Amino acid sequence: MKKTINTVIIIAILLFASCSEDFLIQPPRAALTVGSFPASEQDALLAVNAAYNSLRTWQINTGGFPLLDIMADDAVKGSNPGDGTDIAVYDKFAQTPTEGSIERWYKTLYEAIRRTNLVINEVPKIDMETGLKDRILAEARFLRALYYSDLARGFGDVPKVMETDPPLDLQRSPVQEILNEIIYPDLEFAMVNLPERSQYAPEDMGRATKGAATGLLARMKLFYGDFQSVESLTKKIISSSEYQLVGDFNNVFTYNNEQNEESVFEISALPDWFENGGNQYGNTQGVRGTPNKGWGFCRPAYSLIDEYQKNGDPRLDPTILFLGEIIDGIKISGEGATPDTIKTNGQIVEIECYNQKVWYPGTDSRTSFGSNRKIIRYADVLLMHAEALNENGKSSEALFYLNQIRSRARGTKTDVLPDITSTNKDVLRDIILEERKYELAIEGLRFWDLIRTNKAEQVLKNSGFIKNKNELFPIPQSEIDISQGRITQNQGY
Amino acid sequence: MQNQYKIFIFILCTVITTSIYGQKMTYTGKVVASDLNEPLIGVSISIPNTSSGTLTDFDGNFEIQAEAGQSLIFSYIGYKSVEFKLANSLSIEILLLPDNALLDEVVVIGYGTIKKSDLTGSVTKIKSEDIIKVPSSNAIQSLQGKVAGLQIMSTSGDPGANPVVRLRGVTTLNNNNPIAVIDGVISDISAISLLNSNDIESVEVLKDASASAIYGSRGAAGVIIVTTKKGKSGNNQVQFSLEQSVESASNKIGVMNGREFATYINQIEPGTYNNLDILPDVNWLDKILNDNAPITNANLSIGGGSDKANYYFGLGYFNQKGIIDKSALERLTAKMNSEYKISKFIDVGLNLSVLLSEKQNGPGVINSALWAWPINEPYLADGSTFAEVNGGNPLAAIEYSNSNSNAFRSLGNLYTNINFLNHFTFRSSLQFDMTESKSKGFSPVYFVGPLQQNEENDLSYTTSNNNTIIFENTINYSNSFGKHGISALAGYTAQDDKGEYLSGSTEGLIREGELFWYLDAGLDEFERVSNNFSRSTLISYLGRLNYTYDSRYLFTASLRRDGSSKFGPNNKYGNFPSFAVGWNISNESFFPNESIFNKVKFRASWGIIGNEKINGNAQYSLISPGVNAVFGINEAIQAGATFNGGGNPDLKWEETEQTNVGIDLGLFQDKLIIELDYYKKKTNDILVALEPIGYTGIGSFRSIFFNAANVENTGVEWNVNYRNSIGEISYQLGFLGTTIKNKVTDIGQGLGADSLLVGGDLGNGQQVARTAVGLPIGYFYGYEVIGVFQNKTEVENSPTLFGQGPGDLKYKDVNGDGKLDAKDRTIIGSSIPDFIYGFNAQIGYKEITLSADFQGQTGSEIYNGKQAIRFTTLNFEDKFNNYWNGEGSTNENPRPSLGGVNYQPSSYFIEDGSFLRLRTLTLNYSISPRLSERLKMAKANIYLRGTNLFTTTKYSGFSPEIGASSAVDGAIDRGVYPITRIFTVGLNANF
Repeated sequence: MKKTINTVIIIAILLFASCSEDFLIQPPRAALTVGSFPASEQDALLAVNAAYNSLRTWQINTGGFPLLDIMADDAVKGSNPGDGTDIAVYDKFAQTPTEGSIERWYKTLYEAIRRTNLVINEVPKIDMETGLKDRILAEARFLRALYYSDLARGFGDVPKVMETDPPLDLQRSPVQEILNEIIYPDLEFAMVNLPERSQYAPEDMGRATKGAATGLLARMKLFYGDFQSVESLTKKIISSSEYQLVGDFNNVFTYNNEQNEESVFEISALPDWFENGGNQYGNTQGVRGTPNKGWGFCRPAYSLIDEYQKNGDPRLDPTILFLGEIIDGIKISGEGATPDTIKTNGQIVEIECYNQKVWYPGTDSRTSFGSNRKIIRYADVLLMHAEALNENGKSSEALFYLNQIRSRARGTKTDVLPDITSTNKDVLRDIILEERKYELAIEGLRFWDLIRTNKAEQVLKNSGFIKNKNELFPIPQSEIDISQGRITQNQGY
Repeated sequence: MQNQYKIFIFILCTVITTSIYGQKMTYTGKVVASDLNEPLIGVSISIPNTSSGTLTDFDGNFEIQAEAGQSLIFSYIGYKSVEFKLANSLSIEILLLPDNALLDEVVVIGYGTIKKSDLTGSVTKIKSEDIIKVPSSNAIQSLQGKVAGLQIMSTSGDPGANPVVRLRGVTTLNNNNPIAVIDGVISDISAISLLNSNDIESVEVLKDASASAIYGSRGAAGVIIVTTKKGKSGNNQVQFSLEQSVESASNKIGVMNGREFATYINQIEPGTYNNLDILPDVNWLDKILNDNAPITNANLSIGGGSDKANYYFGLGYFNQKGIIDKSALERLTAKMNSEYKISKFIDVGLNLSVLLSEKQNGPGVINSALWAWPINEPYLADGSTFAEVNGGNPLAAIEYSNSNSNAFRSLGNLYTNINFLNHFTFRSSLQFDMTESKSKGFSPVYFVGPLQQNEENDLSYTTSNNNTIIFENTINYSNSFGKHGISALAGYTAQDDKGEYLSGSTEGLIREGELFWYLDAGLDEFERVSNNFSRSTLISYLGRLNYTYDSRYLFTASLRRDGSSKFGPNNKYGNFPSFAVGWNISNESFFPNESIFNKVKFRASWGIIGNEKINGNAQYSLISPGVNAVFGINEAIQAGATFNGGGNPDLKWEETEQTNVGIDLGLFQDKLIIELDYYKKKTNDILVALEPIGYTGIGSFRSIFFNAANVENTGVEWNVNYRNSIGEISYQLGFLGTTIKNKVTDIGQGLGADSLLVGGDLGNGQQVARTAVGLPIGYFYGYEVIGVFQNKTEVENSPTLFGQGPGDLKYKDVNGDGKLDAKDRTIIGSSIPDFIYGFNAQIGYKEITLSADFQGQTGSEIYNGKQAIRFTTLNFEDKFNNYWNGEGSTNENPRPSLGGVNYQPSSYFIEDGSFLRLRTLTLNYSISPRLSERLKMAKANIYLRGTNLFTTTKYSGFSPEIGASSAVDGAIDRGVYPITRIFTVGLNANF
């Protein structure tokens, strides 16, 4: 018996001792950790593709809702009065630092930037074909500049993050530093190293191109008033012969004409849920009710409809989807529980209608994820070129480009939108701005146009725009709280 | 002191006169168990101060050589020992009574047992008979109202819904569930559902650090030890029980009827409904809730044994239909305990519990029934199919929903005990807890309306298995030297947890019948599969020392050291010590014999317990595939991979430091028993998922774990029981209560993480709960309503939010800056109750017993989320009928509106969650021994029971017991499956 006991005790002691420390290390399954990725050419492609993935996330679009259009005179909040009440404040510039969209947008932009930084910092270490390496790095730098362009215009001074794990004590860097050290050099690098659109293989259509980098740089230079640069950059795109206007404005946004000849940069999406390639941008603004395409936010402003009608502008129909309209064989009935017309003092101020530029056929909400969001159109490039020429004292030259847009918009209706002939710089400046409003309506550009031209106070006065405050969004309150005030708030908030 | 036990002891002896003194005689006799009225095998018989002794045989008979004048001591586990002085009679019959005296019982503690009188920690024991008294579908519910400090909430009437269990408040911001230890196997609280109430021998709830620190890294939220029955030596004991119940919703929520709804809408948009008399009036709750849904519960067990082996088999069947169609549970449980004595020193055994369950997951139609317009008919006029209903047609939702879950779980323990060197026991056990579960959901093609349609049928299927293996080795030493008693424990355990799932989905099944609910029936283009695996490991060393001096002074110390794979290399190990002292004052010589107190004991303890309930990957910043982009003339997905959130390599254990001071009193010969404890629980370095500073790029809606918060819970708890009888009427009264004060003392300071936790997401963009320093966890946050604006002047003279006018809720300008903005939001309630209590009463007359259990709480608030969410125009709860209708009409409710400014998070949606509920009322009839004998039964009883018979509360929802999905969310009523009132008739028989 004693022997048995001794044996057991020995076994027990052995068991105590045999515990290996390796037993307490359990690495994650089906996932990598930083340091082991990206390690190859294949990895480099995976990593840069993931940086594009951010473009399709819901929150990257000003936190999910098209706030820029809602703030501008393009659109109002829309949807049912009871839905998304938190963003109703943007119609009246009553937003505060605790409103959730701001935090979602800001954090998602930095998440996207982290993805680009992973590529920019790790891919140079990979031994791979140089041409592809440079292209991948240029794609990542284009995307980083694109994400920072939202941060700079939306928030002004922001923390400058160029590594994947930034220190926790950063402060805001002046917006000029963000431009000079990130946005401009990234885009200049991208302009040199990215292929032209025509040089990509068909399956890679939609990746960043030389034209896209040039167009984005032009957009940023325009925002900060460097018209000389804008003129030469847009000239480059025009003379590259890579792009041309789609003949009929009716066909610019249709689902069967995506990534068309006018598209300088566009986010491709499939008519399926996000993880299967969809983009909720169209769903957020999609028809609410029948057909059940979406939430119905960002309802086109009644004033916009009114102006299109007064001008006899044929762009009204392809821009705005009305109740009762039949499109791609589907009748738009909208939501019964939401009032069709809203009146103030007997005057119609709002009607139920939708942004047709994000329409994608189908009667369920999933298909509405298929709409490709257009970031830069050639029409915008032409208008930027016209604007720069006018500002640089070449007003008569500008007319040529401006009238291309009007002519296309006019189509076969010769009695509307006559060619502009005025060469008065100030008059033409206003005309170009108006043209941008109608051509680029509800594409998220109007608000920035009003800010950069200093017209916001005048145009958005009735909405409650406050000068020297509402040019920028507030910094999310959480960012200020977590940094214990090291990150400061924007003026007026 | 010991006199009290006399009432429990009866010794019967038949005397045959033969008087021969001073000479060894052969005494023979028989030992019978008084409760079973059966002979006892293996009763040990000894003669003090000699080495003589014997055991009873299979028929309970014994034979022993002794002298007249000597004493025989009869002892048997579970029965009170008896000393019998030998006289002239040579034939003796001894009747042993079960040892159910309260103060001398054995209490199961972690990795061992201890006499209750030697206990230093705060432990509450609930015995089998108290558990069986209130049978329920989940044995844990039987503990309701029996343990001070233990809060058990039935938050849903959904068949198979697990109750929410909290011990001494909410101590952490992550998982607050106590652990369950079933026959030594450490598991989660849900494992108790593997057991039938009838299979349980006892339940011990370990409350303070002295008791639970031996469970180290996992005991912080409390430990519930469940011991199942063993077979007793002797004849087979068969037990059978059957109960049948019917249940109905215990109350209904008032919503507007058709006329009221139309009237309300007309206030918003005049003229919408011109003829109120022709409008339909549909009560949707009545349409979806069934009355008298049946529940069947049957159990059969058989146990027995010899001196070499014992066994216990139990089989249980449970079937609940649910009060909403397509919600149901069917469950089969099996229990097998067996133990064999291989030799005098070695025994081996197996405890095994098996569960097979099939659950129909009811569709979430409660909100839909509250929100659906009462003026919409459920079916088309011709009755052919479902009609479109604004807010959704709940009947259609039930019809088209198909969701089932099956589970197979087995939990067991294979062990051996080896006794050596007289005082040592070595125990080695291999424990396992394995779950295999499957779930399937199918939705056919249907069209009810544009917002309620499915264009393509779809199927999802998930299978997962979770396996835990624990290898445990302990050595126990127990001895006494004169007045010194020592017991010591040392041990080592290793634990391995693995989990894997495989799930798939598809669409476009070739046919919709159940025969086609398999992935292969769908279209390949829609087929999606995902699969992953997780593993975490734990190594522990443990030790404990108990010392008693003369049953007066008691001392316990324990230490556990745990190492876990969930933490990085520098923080893998944590140490969890505890110390406790006890003083049995009533055993002191100076304690007066004639006092009304027959027992007084002081206890004090201190210790540290841990918590590691986080995902094993929380330490890693993962890079995952599946982050895809779309490119190409023909748009197609191209694969991508990148960061998937972030991780924290510096994570370490969360620690709860607990101090406990208690006193146990027995008065009037234990007729009155009082247990009183003061506790202070300080949880430090709480593992909490916080959103780090935004520019780190972890992403929106993403958080990483930090050891970043401290929470303090303090309170007093008591348990008072009084039992007595007047003539043939016996009665018993109990009152228990706990006060809770919960406070967050630190969050995320200087960690680059949020110092404010925002929770309570209503799903409409509103988040109504917060956790911040100085306040309770998950308090409600919003505007404080101070009335309703009565006129334009009042609006103009008050700070307002954008868009406010007469008839709108008037919010308080909390910071007094003359403006109303987000800064004026404030604490508007907390869902953590100040006081939880229960009382029970039992009265018996002859064979009849009537017992009642009440349960209640005060000082808790509920956020009525289902009322606050307005995505579109939905029906309203009836409180909105009293809307503001012009100056002076009401200062309570706002003007009619569909949404907007009056639906801001505010105290308007806060309701008082205090309640008092008659949990159970039971009338029991025990068949008289004479009758049961004629029926060849050992004993039998039949009973009637009502559950949730009444509740007094101001809360307007189904039940004020709202479980928070996470402590930081607070108790938000988002629409729960109604709590039911149950009537039961049952039968118990022992053979």
